[in-house]
Amino acid sequence: MQPELPNPPSDAEFVGLLTQSQLSLLLYVRSLLPGEADASDVAQQANAKIWEKRADFALGTNFLAWSFAIARFEVLNYRKRQARDSRLTFSEDLEQTIASELQQIDDDLLSRQEALRKCLDGLKPEARTLLMDRYETTESLADFARRIGRSAGGLKVSLHRIRATLADCIERRLATGAAR
Amino acid sequence: MTPEEREQLIDSLIDGEIDEADFLRIEAELSVDPEVRALYYNRLKLDLLLQREASGSVDDSGSDVAQAVAPSAAIPPVASVNILQRRLTGIFAVLAATVLGFVAWSVWNPDSSRLGSPAGLAGKLEPTAAGFAILQGQSDAVWEGDPLATGSLVPSGPLRLLSGVAQIELFSGVRMVIEGDAQFVVQSAMLVQLDRGRARAQVPEAARGFRVQTRHGDLIDLGTEFAIDAGDEAARVEVLTGEVELHGQGAARQRVLEGAAWQLSDAGVSERSDSDSLQVLGPDAFERQLSSQQVDQRRRWQQRVASMREDDRLIAWYQTQQTSADGRQLPNLAQSDSQSAGAAAIVACQPSSDRWGQAGGALDLSRTGSRIRVDVPGEFGSLTMMCWVKIYSLDRLYNSLFLTDGHELQEPHWQIMNDGRLFFSVKKFDGAEGKRRRPDKYNFYSPPFWDASLSGQWIMLATTYDVQARRVSHYFNGEEIGSEAIPADYLVPRVTIGPASIGNWSEPMYRTDPQFVVRNLNGSLDEFVLYSSALSGSEIAELYRLGNPAR
Repeated sequence: MQPELPNPPSDAEFVGLLTQSQLSLLLYVRSLLPGEADASDVAQQANAKIWEKRADFALGTNFLAWSFAIARFEVLNYRKRQARDSRLTFSEDLEQTIASELQQIDDDLLSRQEALRKCLDGLKPEARTLLMDRYETTESLADFARRIGRSAGGLKVSLHRIRATLADCIERRLATGAAR
Repeated sequence: MTPEEREQLIDSLIDGEIDEADFLRIEAELSVDPEVRALYYNRLKLDLLLQREASGSVDDSGSDVAQAVAPSAAIPPVASVNILQRRLTGIFAVLAATVLGFVAWSVWNPDSSRLGSPAGLAGKLEPTAAGFAILQGQSDAVWEGDPLATGSLVPSGPLRLLSGVAQIELFSGVRMVIEGDAQFVVQSAMLVQLDRGRARAQVPEAARGFRVQTRHGDLIDLGTEFAIDAGDEAARVEVLTGEVELHGQGAARQRVLEGAAWQLSDAGVSERSDSDSLQVLGPDAFERQLSSQQVDQRRRWQQRVASMREDDRLIAWYQTQQTSADGRQLPNLAQSDSQSAGAAAIVACQPSSDRWGQAGGALDLSRTGSRIRVDVPGEFGSLTMMCWVKIYSLDRLYNSLFLTDGHELQEPHWQIMNDGRLFFSVKKFDGAEGKRRRPDKYNFYSPPFWDASLSGQWIMLATTYDVQARRVSHYFNGEEIGSEAIPADYLVPRVTIGPASIGNWSEPMYRTDPQFVVRNLNGSLDEFVLYSSALSGSEIAELYRLGNPAR
């Protein structure tokens, strides 16, 4: 008797799955590489690998779980290639927990972005400019602080406050559905 | 730990500004407390969204390929029509798309309404190009409007060949030589509308029924070769071998056999009073003429190279047709005093035809593992890299042109992204000592130059790194396609190369892990040149003009 063969998706179905899970994948890779500027490159590599292995995926099984496993492998590869001190990586247990939780997480980034825009509008102009300037540059916090003539510590606190305000505002909007 | 403190630590973590002690503290909290993790995820989302918000249309070096192409991308399925959703979803669709390796321009299809269905998506997976014919060759051809490159797809719509001769090859197999002054439209692989001018066509059996439409009536081929001269008064026809059928206005029809001279006019189909030959060059004769012209051009180029070899700015000049006796090495042709790069070693490449059509004159790098190894000692200020390549497809995320082994400080990397952008960078910071947030290099991208119609055509690519002017410029076929200032932080005044590969990437030597990433160029290389100086735009245009076989 023939064993039951896995049921691979068509390329079109696969693209659909991969497209839908882009945000989760990106979040997952960033969660494992916090503060790494190269995180999106790693996510891209993971995408390429996932596509390469598409024939191994069986329809009806958990796509996120499967793709996260590949993404994690790419993260490990990246760390290896960087040959960098790996003190600042999470324990394996924590990485597993993050993987399983992010697989469940609601893909609400679109409404979040909309809420964020409204909340940004509500910020004081100086705060908003500071935040956008910070995100536009690739400088380290210290270099950025020096350039705008502020102390790194003070800047860190300011940025944190702005982010906290934004985060609160976003949660409030999402909770009341005001963003829609 | 207070909630406030927790948030601060998470922010520092995401900023890449956390020290080890704090990292361990927050890791412990994350490990045991699902609420802290939820907070972490929310902050990661905020960070991601802020970064996208801030980058807007600007392509910062940390952004992914997708972001750069997103603004012009197709709009994938969204239930509610909403600009924001469109844009965001677009980014992710394109992210997937670019990963899948299909060319960016095929996504710029305005007909995106069907993208939602699986069939629509499947359609998008296939790169598309438009046309029914290839411009096979041309001699002194002057086109109205933009010049057409040999080997390119013949554009749809009316074309005017003002002077010279051009040969097109239709996808049906018909080969047609057209002499200027001519005005024509390639309507399909089986139909050419010839409004004015002289042409000669060779029609294989598989294309029987091929039709030439003139203002005075149609010619239908019944197999083989004929010439036609479409004028204002009449279209004169000469059957060289086989037979054709002429359809005049109304019901007039006439079969015309080999050797006969007929014409189509407002009066219908009639035998010509003059039986002069139309004297149009046939495809075979034209190809012979072109190939002897190419031999001449190639010889002239080699003469030019001989004089350019002594340029003091040259570091290396490798010509793939100039191999050592055993065929395993490419001598460095540069004869400047300052050069010290040696011969290049050919690894796993296959011989292929060069851009002048000479068999075995180029190297095919498409087999996995293929590369050309070089070692370039010394330090350089500015750089120019130039090569002639024929690319089949950009099917890797990074398609190598010239990469140093690994990627050490001060070393350049030159490659093509799979969305068709040229990529150049010089590594400025060491990852281990640099601030974690700061990228270790600045990537200079050109706008995408590639589309599927370029597949299999010889093109010249060049990039200059100008330390004095603090500028990186990219060139495609002799024309500048992008130029960007080098940010002060990322200027590397002295560039080193050392062991490097043309057409592939090698990880550092003595590495024993046999796994490697596939980055070899899926194509062939004909010539590779390296200067220790940034050539000017006009010098690069001149190199292209002299070295371009398809003039």
